[in-house]
Amino acid sequence: MDRTSVKIVVAGGFGTGKTTLVSSVSEIAPLTTEELLTEASLGVDDTTHVEDKTHTTVALDFGRITISPDVVLYLFGTPGQDRFWFMWDELAQGAVGAIVLVDTRRLDTSFAAVDYFERRGIPFVTAVNQFNGQCAYTEEEIRGALELDPQVPLVWCDARDRESSKLALIALVRHAMNRLRVPA
Amino acid sequence: MPDRWDGDDESEAGRFVPLYILVNGRTSPRDSKLDLATQVIALQVDANRLEPEYVQILNQCGNWISIAEIGAYLRIPLTIVKVMVDVLLEQGYLGIGSPAQQKVIDMSVLDALLAGLERL
Ligand SMILES: Nc1nc2c(ncn2[C@@H]2O[C@H](COP(=O)(O)OP(=O)(O)OP(=O)(O)O)[C@@H](O)[C@H]2O)c(=O)[nH]1
Ligand SMILES: [Mg+2]
Repeated sequence: MDRTSVKIVVAGGFGTGKTTLVSSVSEIAPLTTEELLTEASLGVDDTTHVEDKTHTTVALDFGRITISPDVVLYLFGTPGQDRFWFMWDELAQGAVGAIVLVDTRRLDTSFAAVDYFERRGIPFVTAVNQFNGQCAYTEEEIRGALELDPQVPLVWCDARDRESSKLALIALVRHAMNRLRVPA
Repeated sequence: MPDRWDGDDESEAGRFVPLYILVNGRTSPRDSKLDLATQVIALQVDANRLEPEYVQILNQCGNWISIAEIGAYLRIPLTIVKVMVDVLLEQGYLGIGSPAQQKVIDMSVLDALLAGLERL
């Protein structure tokens, strides 16, 4: 059947504007879905007495944009907590790529996300969220601090603004297309 | 609260995994091809013999809908939605679209995506 889903991951540290970006471009109010988690130490064979064990949930925000009658884009915000790596793996698999949001007041909080996508060769762009336009750094300084590969695009954005968020998505798709033409 | 972030991601890494649950004698489809963005649609099949939990899912699938959306609307954790959708697919109640999970995304999809975003 002809119905294609494409995914883009919206990553970045705590409070960098992931949910805000997803809401500003999504055609539906962002949804939240949950994954039930249990302690890894239980072992995968233990299916009994699940109710006795410690478990918790991780929430995942997402939005959608209908691209054409048969293509729908899903935008997934990564869980804020880096320890849920397996969720990142699932989100990143088969994705067009990722937008890594960066808050210039706390550059270091997005380092783990940059590192994650870089290591796996997943196309990503960094979107510098200018909280109230107060950016103390130049592009070079931000690139240096995040150890960005020169090929990785850096865009300035305001995640609250639909147009600005849209431009970040376009920058990512263009970058993914270039990577496909000239494999790294 | 066990899921409280304590500011030390390194030591916590990998501590939690998806809950392993049995649904209709099946277990977590961690190895299934179902991606959370994959869309499904209800087929015109008599669903009288299905249990209410499954009918509830089918009722969400009148139009194409992703697994993540089903989970969000019905408040069912992803692991469980996947198993249940898998059962419905296997028994012919649902049709399935192209999974987002392809190793190589082809250029024509990216072309369509770019054009679509520029039109927004
Ligand atoms: N000034 C300004 N504020 C923003 C911008 N983006 C987000 N915010 C605000 O920053 C706060 C955090 O934004 P969220 O979108 O919740 O961040 P998040 O990355 O989803 O946060 P977590 O999921 O907790 O990691 C909210 O109060 C937003 O309103 C921006 O571009 N400019
Ligand atoms: Mg958020």
